[in-house]
Amino acid sequence: MEFTTQLLYPIDQILLAVMIFSIMFGMGASLTIDDFKTVMRYPRGILIGFLSQFGLMPFFAYGLAIFLNLPPAYAIAIILIGCLPGGTTSNMFAYFARGSVALSIAMTTASTVMALLMMPILLEFYTAEFTSAISAELQTAGTGTEFVIPTGNIISSLILVLVPVALGMFLRAKSQAWAKTAEDTAGFMGIIVILYLIGTAFARHSGLMLQTPINIYIAAICVGLLGFLFGFWMSRLFKLSPIFQRAISLETGIQNGPIAFAIILLSFAEPIQSQMLWLAILYSTFIVITSSFITLYYRRVGKFDYEIYKNTTIHNKLFGDEYVSNYPDGFLPKRIEHDPSQGFTPSQIREKK
Amino acid sequence: MENRIVAENMAQLFQRAAEQYGDLPAFATRKKELEWEPVSFRKLYEKGLNLATGLIKLGVKAKEHVGLFGDNRFEWILSDYGIQLCGAVNVPRGRDITDAELVYIINHAEIKIAFVETAQLANSIINLKKELPTLKKIILHEKSDSNAKYVLNIAEVEEIGMKLREKGDRQAESRMEAINPEDLFTLIYTSGTTGKPKGVMLSHGNIMSQMKVIPIKLNCTDRVLSILPVWHSFERVFEVYTISCGVCTYYTSIRTLADDLKNVEPTFMGSAPRLWESLHQRILKRVKEAHPMRRLLFHTAYFLSKQYKSSLYFMFDRKLKTEKESSLLRIVQLPFHALRWLLVTPFYGFFNVAVLEPIRLSAGGSLKATVSGGGALPKEIDRFFNYIGIPVLEGYGMTETSPVIAVRTEDQLVIGTVGPIVEETEVRIVDLETGDTLYPDRSHPENGRGIRGEIHVKGPQVMQGYYKEKELTANTIRNGWLRTGDLGMITFNNCLKILGRSKSTIVLLSGENLEPEPIEMRLTQSPLVEHCMVVGQDKKFIGALIVPDLGELRAKGIQAQTLAEASENEEAKKLMRAEIKKVISTSNGFKRHELIQEFQLLPETFKIGVELTSLFKMKRHIIQDKYADKIESMYPNESSGGK
Repeated sequence: MEFTTQLLYPIDQILLAVMIFSIMFGMGASLTIDDFKTVMRYPRGILIGFLSQFGLMPFFAYGLAIFLNLPPAYAIAIILIGCLPGGTTSNMFAYFARGSVALSIAMTTASTVMALLMMPILLEFYTAEFTSAISAELQTAGTGTEFVIPTGNIISSLILVLVPVALGMFLRAKSQAWAKTAEDTAGFMGIIVILYLIGTAFARHSGLMLQTPINIYIAAICVGLLGFLFGFWMSRLFKLSPIFQRAISLETGIQNGPIAFAIILLSFAEPIQSQMLWLAILYSTFIVITSSFITLYYRRVGKFDYEIYKNTTIHNKLFGDEYVSNYPDGFLPKRIEHDPSQGFTPSQIREKK
Repeated sequence: MENRIVAENMAQLFQRAAEQYGDLPAFATRKKELEWEPVSFRKLYEKGLNLATGLIKLGVKAKEHVGLFGDNRFEWILSDYGIQLCGAVNVPRGRDITDAELVYIINHAEIKIAFVETAQLANSIINLKKELPTLKKIILHEKSDSNAKYVLNIAEVEEIGMKLREKGDRQAESRMEAINPEDLFTLIYTSGTTGKPKGVMLSHGNIMSQMKVIPIKLNCTDRVLSILPVWHSFERVFEVYTISCGVCTYYTSIRTLADDLKNVEPTFMGSAPRLWESLHQRILKRVKEAHPMRRLLFHTAYFLSKQYKSSLYFMFDRKLKTEKESSLLRIVQLPFHALRWLLVTPFYGFFNVAVLEPIRLSAGGSLKATVSGGGALPKEIDRFFNYIGIPVLEGYGMTETSPVIAVRTEDQLVIGTVGPIVEETEVRIVDLETGDTLYPDRSHPENGRGIRGEIHVKGPQVMQGYYKEKELTANTIRNGWLRTGDLGMITFNNCLKILGRSKSTIVLLSGENLEPEPIEMRLTQSPLVEHCMVVGQDKKFIGALIVPDLGELRAKGIQAQTLAEASENEEAKKLMRAEIKKVISTSNGFKRHELIQEFQLLPETFKIGVELTSLFKMKRHIIQDKYADKIESMYPNESSGGK
């Protein structure tokens, strides 16, 4: 599928830039220096999260590109999406999925910083064959240029999107009330702009939805779903507690879409820019829907273990760290009973050993 | 996962709870903001046994009435344990009990031994000693250094019992075995809103039947915050119910409520309408003060939630149905509601998450639901909390029915009603004048649904009678049917709707009847009005006694330091007159004779224990007596026809 005209008009690009700026600013407004310190409190969770975010996700994205035989531009886009750090929306979903919000925030923070190093390496590694395919295409078309992944540009656009994050953090340090408003307003604006973009894309490129081949839809939907699924199972394999499993699962699947838009706009040129943008729009749309359903599902299955966790935590908060909550025999499901993170206090863990 | 204990009597319930829930915390007392002291089910039962043995040693007989005068604290529940475990009956009342009530209750119930919370209250009792011939001993909850030889401390009694039990004393156990379901467990004196206190006799069977039928699911992971007076049947039944479910109860106070809501994060709470009214005003005030962007976000969220929920209620047959609805109309409307629901859902989803959740957090983040009782919840406030996502389960009951008769459940949450009748309970709607049964009666269309009348109740929770009041009991309970004195109807989706108190009905000179409650409820929602009472029995028109909100008046520029000053202020009166005109008008659905023609601002507020019951219900006759001249001044020229 070829785009005969640009997907986005200049006005849309400006809107998109404003959206990226405000969302990243909102993200910064939700962060404090303490969040960086929290990263240190969950070394295991962060490590497993890191593995699933920068290990599993790019691999799945690559696998999907190969398996679904995606055209090179879309393949690069999906790999780019796979390599992104987590976004702030995942924190909100983690909260409603009864996951650990602290871990989710810590993972977002850590992955955003790590992305500066990891994204260029991963992109270079996974996109090699697709870039040469594009180069070959360009050669036959007679333009005679060699296509390479613009690593330098990607790093500078990453740094550029981190500027509003820093500004947001500065606001947060100055006034918590204003920061909270900025955060909500940014979330609201994000939704409005993305709806507007989808709407105009449909209006101007009528039939775009129908023209888009099915395998592109599958890729846009599945990259998130695979992230949820394997994020969950991987953390379960490493015996993390259910609240961590849910947080890591959502954090892995939900990527920071605005960063993708920024990188595509700033680092890639036509003819592949519109195609990459279209995939990024599709991903951003579908991920909201899929993660809503996953969140509702997690919320339901996690109800009981979360309530136990919460009750035990409050016991320790009010009755002291040494307090042991002894639930009646048979009250706790087997899986939770043997799980130390389900609120066993230090003294209890010693006792169990 | 639910595991409530259903036992034969209170003592057995306490014993089984100790066996089943063991070391889990049963009650927690606040020491500091983040330092609470838990007592486990097992420990509480042990302490209770010791106390019971001590009480037996002091001469408490089985079925004897033991006084219990105090408010929510751990020693209260311990005293209850002690009294139940020695087969005695408690006679509870709050710390705010008046001298006259003390004398009446102690003599009427022939109390020999009484638990008393504070040294201050003990002193008032000692001063009344001459009038209390039966009273032998006072057991204090508080530590005190009283030298009077008939004043003991609860810890001393416990210690006496402990020593006896160490030597193998097992009298408490044999007392427990001798308890029958029809034996009383408590004798609650209700001051009610009229007349002298009446002793409501509730049996073990009464309260245990409630454990079976309460349709609210709780388990060991729940936390209950206790704020309403525990001696009142409404809070008391939840106190017993939490023991049955293995839930920990945290005692809080009005002073520390905001902090405790945040720290304990209760999952359940018994509450009174007043609490929701003040929370409602607090939330609205915060929204008003927020800057325009936040306000916009809130109003959008509320609007969407309203659209979403009303369609949902329509689809699941959960809207208020006081009139018969044609099924054809329903089928026609259904697709429209389904469509609206589908369209609104995604937007509602976002706003629910981003805007409404923080508001819910401010009201105690983990609340699954809360039951409101002890008075009607104004409809707007009811709607407000359900729309922002805090399900308020309004219930209906009275001390005489130990107390629950009906309560909304989350599946049958019909706003404007008090939900379906609980299991094992029958309700009849009876014509006030003829005494004929209106519901259930096949001769009426729809079996008598939607017809208004007095509510009569029959079921295992109905009391044994009023103590030493044979005639009154016979008047209240006939053939097992208890007359509640409340007006109501059964809606077309089988919920009970309360329509006021049959006894508070005002009959105007013209013969027109009106219920003061809906008018008062509407008026108190105005930020200017703190309390109000509508009067006008046998008068030409109705008038209102109003306690204005001083802060709000001053915010509107009225120069007044006290309520007394405000009550004389002409500007304030002008403001209030305009407000009344706006709020109580025919365009708001009030009838012509329900419009308030005159009012008086009161120089002081209503106080709990004086003008208000502990559940914030107005004691109408007391207010009427106190402000008789104010009322008269509203009708200066009654004989020649009003103003």
